[in-house]
Amino acid sequence: MYNQDQTYKVIVMGGSAGSFSVVSHILAGINPEFKIPIVLCLHRLKHVRSGLVEGLSLKSVIPVVEPNDKAKLRPNTVYLAPSNYHLFLELDGSIALSTEESFNHSRPSIDYTLSSAAYAFRDRVLGILLTGANKDGARGIKEIADNKGFTIVQDPKSCDIDTMPRSALQLFQPDLVLDPQQILEFLNALPQ
Amino acid sequence: MQNREERQTYKDYLQVLKECSPYDFCEYSDNSIDRRIQKIMQDYRLNLDELIYKTRTDEEFVELVVEAITVNTTELFRDPPVWKHLYEKVYWALKSRPKINIWHAGCSSGQEVYSNLILLDIMGLADKCEIYATDISKKSLEVANSGSYKYNFNFQKYLNNFQDAFPNLPKEKFLGYFDIDESKDRMSVKPSLLGKAKFIKHDLVKQPLPFYNKFDLIFCRNVLIYFNSGLQSRIIQKFHDTLFPGGAMVLGTHESINGFFKTKFAKNGPVYERTNTFHFKY
Repeated sequence: MYNQDQTYKVIVMGGSAGSFSVVSHILAGINPEFKIPIVLCLHRLKHVRSGLVEGLSLKSVIPVVEPNDKAKLRPNTVYLAPSNYHLFLELDGSIALSTEESFNHSRPSIDYTLSSAAYAFRDRVLGILLTGANKDGARGIKEIADNKGFTIVQDPKSCDIDTMPRSALQLFQPDLVLDPQQILEFLNALPQ
Repeated sequence: MQNREERQTYKDYLQVLKECSPYDFCEYSDNSIDRRIQKIMQDYRLNLDELIYKTRTDEEFVELVVEAITVNTTELFRDPPVWKHLYEKVYWALKSRPKINIWHAGCSSGQEVYSNLILLDIMGLADKCEIYATDISKKSLEVANSGSYKYNFNFQKYLNNFQDAFPNLPKEKFLGYFDIDESKDRMSVKPSLLGKAKFIKHDLVKQPLPFYNKFDLIFCRNVLIYFNSGLQSRIIQKFHDTLFPGGAMVLGTHESINGFFKTKFAKNGPVYERTNTFHFKY
């Protein structure tokens, strides 16, 4: 259950088809002083490998970076999984990248990022799964819930393509099911 | 994923592997190694005790474990901007040299080596290059030596990379370096490029360098991400000491140098150039 006093160490967000506009909306409206690091794992088209950081940076009010391997999470920063790499969170709060085989036909794989966050941060993770056309991410966000982290799944009714949130909802019951505007309001109301 | 006690047992397993084989993975980064060991246990249907027993008693199995632990994914012309930079900047500067020494450390199945050979051939530099390519995995080196890759799965991606890297070159240029056999699902490097690089089995972590040359260029892409920081620094030092002053190191796009050796290299686009500063032993 949601605990008013809980502060989260990291927010991990996964999404695929249609998620760019949702993430843009959230990053444009978020409190510019928002402290908790946000890690994004978004699928992208294989032949369009660059440009996503630039695209998100246009609207975002907090800096968006593609981290290097072993970079430490810092407050007030958005970390975007680089194309063609898996992104993991480590126990010491650093980021690890890997070029291992694709998982769920995806690199980066959202399952990998979310479950590493669940393992490294336990109940101090807030996981959010957005719209997408693939089931990657469903198992990962369930692992966050299993480790007592807080979970939000985008309301399938508000999704461009709802395969991703639906496959998550088949696996478990998240703490909240919200549309993008509600997700934004929820984040801005979090204790920092 | 797994619980913390399991993570400790994986560490114990690496100790076993270190004791009874020539390999040492103890300083690989936890995250990836745990997942790889888990996968081995699933694939061979072993629990940890059985895995340890098999590792102690079966030498051939140890080789399989090494194959499974190391990550072998690679592409021709992976990260096109890097190749563009090599083409436009790095090799132009080396053009007047009588000889160019190149080392691909952790070359996997050789795609990077052939990408480089194709670029050098296009620039007319291939004949004055001495190219060494090393990897820990015997199986990958066999593929690298053959220069033959799956066609359907790879071709379009490889061609796209090439065209992104060299938009001014026609795609026939790329096609000219391969024999393509669709019925056998194979694309093979033309014999003229085969044998130009020397592929050598070498463990970057434990073995001394298998050559005495110094190098103008060292490729080591997406290898260091699997090592912990201490090991990373030691390998960077190795590279530093075996590079000519002014020589360059090409790492993966999202790898960087941390700690002391940061001051010993200057970042120029995607490459790290060895600077010629003194350093003192304290």
